[in-house]
Amino acid sequence: MLEVSRLRKVYGADPQAAPAIEEVSFEVADREFLCILGSSGCGKSTLLKCLSGLIPASSGEIRLNGEPVTGPPEDMAFVFQDYSRSLLPWMTVAGNVSFPLRYKGLSKREAQAATDEALDAVSLAGMHKRFPWQLSGGMQQRVAIARALAYRPKILLMDEPFASLDAQTRSGLEDLLLDIWRRFEVTVLFITHDIDEAVYLADRVLVLEAPAKVGLDVTVPLPRPRDQLTTKALPEFAELRGRLFSAIQGAPVAR
Amino acid sequence: MRQAVEDEGNALVVASDTAGPEAVAGPPGRRAGPRGAADLAIKLAGVLAVLVVLELCSRFGLLPRRWFPPVSEMYAELFRLAAQQPLWVEVGRTLRAWAVGIGLATLLAVPAGVALGSSAVAYRMSRIVIEFCRPIPSVALIPLAVLVYGTGLEMKVFLIAFATFWPLLFQTVYGVQDVDPVARDTARAYGLGAAARFWVITIPSAAPYIATGLRIASSIGLVLAVTSELVGGATGLGRAIVVAQSAGQITLMYALIITTGLLGWALNAVFAAVERKALRWHPAQRQEVAR
Repeated sequence: MLEVSRLRKVYGADPQAAPAIEEVSFEVADREFLCILGSSGCGKSTLLKCLSGLIPASSGEIRLNGEPVTGPPEDMAFVFQDYSRSLLPWMTVAGNVSFPLRYKGLSKREAQAATDEALDAVSLAGMHKRFPWQLSGGMQQRVAIARALAYRPKILLMDEPFASLDAQTRSGLEDLLLDIWRRFEVTVLFITHDIDEAVYLADRVLVLEAPAKVGLDVTVPLPRPRDQLTTKALPEFAELRGRLFSAIQGAPVAR
Repeated sequence: MRQAVEDEGNALVVASDTAGPEAVAGPPGRRAGPRGAADLAIKLAGVLAVLVVLELCSRFGLLPRRWFPPVSEMYAELFRLAAQQPLWVEVGRTLRAWAVGIGLATLLAVPAGVALGSSAVAYRMSRIVIEFCRPIPSVALIPLAVLVYGTGLEMKVFLIAFATFWPLLFQTVYGVQDVDPVARDTARAYGLGAAARFWVITIPSAAPYIATGLRIASSIGLVLAVTSELVGGATGLGRAIVVAQSAGQITLMYALIITTGLLGWALNAVFAAVERKALRWHPAQRQEVAR
């Protein structure tokens, strides 16, 4: 369980400066799929960086399974939007997936097994010796997802992971992610600015208003397993999307 | 130069992102086949044309033959020399100073560059000192070097190390400063500590810059090696050129000059090949492969 209480972030030393995150409190249950929805510049990425311990919060508290987060926790894996920069170009696909594992204390054999399994899960079996830059964007992001999976996290943080992919690749990866989420029994915290994506994927959607406070917290009652065609054709889908759309429209626009 | 390498890189990254959804680029191929052969033929034709023109100019007296002997004679002399030991002894002397000097510069410049590149304060503190030292033409230090170290190997090594220290230092600083923040965040998010990040992220990121620095240093080092022999009187190819000149053996002098040229060319080719092989992941190299 991830608990965020009264989290506030102000960049720089001046406490009077405009906050990137004003005050955010929410909880994510184990194995929940939570989408955080917000327009660009509302502080989504800052929030995720605070949650992952990459940057310190100015005040407030983040607890993962009761433990306060002060640095990147072992139970957490991060998938960045910019896969081409997050994957290391001098390492092969297998190297990119496995390098964190050795530092996590896995033996060479364990790391290899985890790498094989993760690459298999994202349908990239046999791509071990390729370099990321020899792959398409969609495949590169699948490598990044495989790296996160191999790390065996309890919680997966994803920062607009599909935002720079084309629509077709993107819907394929959404379904892949739902499949992985179910099979690997992880909690997913997924940031997006795409309303359809949020409704399609999530159990629950939080709408962030600039400067990052929770504007709306809605449960998505759509049945699972979901399907790109039938789920998106449900009247509940349209209704939810309408609600979220007006919530985002009503939110004050970031400077 | 750093800019150029980076821009090419970014352009390529963008290009590969917009490629078809699930397209897989093939493994990098070798440049070969009929196009490679034609390319080589054109290049060789160019070289041949220059040689023929020079040869004719000398034979027909367009160039004073006394100072410009026919190219064929120069190369005949070169081949004659190459079959004998003394030439190789001189080449060895020059190369030894070159290698020791660049090795020394690398040992000093890379750690210094890592330190300056990692610490903004250290970089700002040293900035003026570096900007003052760097523009000093190394040849201006020859009298000093001769005074302190005499006319032997040490003098040459000092000059070469001084001259090549700067490009190596700056390339390392740039390389270390240019680590992608997303790559660094990735490593941090996956629990790599500072030391691990240094080896896994920083060093490989800086490697292309350092490799370029080495290639630049290689040619600067050779210039300094030959210059210090010419002017400072240390033994080696440069000194052999002076001796040939003062003995009036003009053809021999040319053969030795050609030797220095070939040496520089060979060293550059070796460094470029090593760079290509070791850094084939780097955008600049990838583009070369794709061309």
